[in-house]
Amino acid sequence: MNPEFLRGHLEGLLLAVLVDHPGHGYALSQRLATRSGGELAVPEGSLYPALQRLERRGLVTSAWATVDGRRRRVYRVSAAGRREARAAASDWKMFSAALDRVWGGLT
Amino acid sequence: MSPVDDYLQQLEAALHVRGRARRRLLAECRSHLDDASAAQDTKEAVRRFGDAGELARSFDTEIALRRGLRATVASVLGVCAVAVSALEIVHAAEANASAVVGWAVAFFAFAQVSGVCALLAALRAVAMRRGPATAADVVLLCRRNGMALVFALLTLVAAAGAVPGHAAAWKILAGPAVAVLAAVSVVRSRSLARRIDPDASRAVQEPLADLRVVVGRSAGASSHAASSSSILMLAPTLVIAAIAAFVWDHQDHGTLASSAAAAGIEAALTVAGFFLLGRVLGLRPGRGTRRGSATT
Repeated sequence: MNPEFLRGHLEGLLLAVLVDHPGHGYALSQRLATRSGGELAVPEGSLYPALQRLERRGLVTSAWATVDGRRRRVYRVSAAGRREARAAASDWKMFSAALDRVWGGLT
Repeated sequence: MSPVDDYLQQLEAALHVRGRARRRLLAECRSHLDDASAAQDTKEAVRRFGDAGELARSFDTEIALRRGLRATVASVLGVCAVAVSALEIVHAAEANASAVVGWAVAFFAFAQVSGVCALLAALRAVAMRRGPATAADVVLLCRRNGMALVFALLTLVAAAGAVPGHAAAWKILAGPAVAVLAAVSVVRSRSLARRIDPDASRAVQEPLADLRVVVGRSAGASSHAASSSSILMLAPTLVIAAIAAFVWDHQDHGTLASSAAAAGIEAALTVAGFFLLGRVLGLRPGRGTRRGSATT
């Protein structure tokens, strides 16, 4: 998939994979890959500035923790982040449905 | 040297930010790359991590933005602290002292410019907090903060010139001390933003666009739209400022003529302020102005 499609959506996708469980950066990249069936190929390093932006906006919090014997920064979604994730999911469904209607006849 | 060490060395060289934020990013990246290397070929793990230069730039910009937002809070506090010190000077004036007219006009002009700059910076900061931003956005934010602090200090000087008196030194100096601390924060933030993008000098951001973001009617924080509408804002601003000056003077027992003169001076100062400071504050384009700088 063209990585340009993801521009502006990475933060919403991170919230989506964080809503159910907290996780560190590598775990989040694995969740994104698994849940998208490997279609969302973002440069994995770009997750970290995106996570910082989410933290700045108060949508996630983070703290160092020992996971699998290694010290890692673990991210959790905040209450505001949950609201944002629901709103983003709703917006995306409407957008996706509209695109389907436009492109549907050509597939 | 392993591909992971080589990559992290490139990242370290590309990063401008220093201190805790830098150490945290490097530690997270190493942890990520170690995990990824254990699951697949190390070179593939490094390839999938993305370009070190792009990651460094994106991370530096985010940290510069955070610093810019903190500097804005410090600047607004600094302006308020200087305002309290200036009022202390005014209240300490001798009972029958009459203000020197030139200094009094300067006092009101500087105070208003400082307040407007602080307001523009705060509006920009709230809008930027809601979305991504560029180094040019941070430089503009810092410039507005810097102007707010400089004019706040000039207001204090004008107050002392207008109504000399005897106030406690610590009360007068407390405001400037807070302002100097805020200025250090502004300079630090601006310095990082300029290192990320040495050409990030002239950005334009109209306050109405920021206001739309703040009230939730627009998602983008970094529109850099053409500022042709900024000049259209001048007319209503000028009318409101003139009416406010007229009412203020009239309520202060001014005659119709003196109130009209106050309104005229206020209107002239508003126009002069817009044309003299508009470019510096990013309200109107100048030479080398950036329109539509990319968001990350």
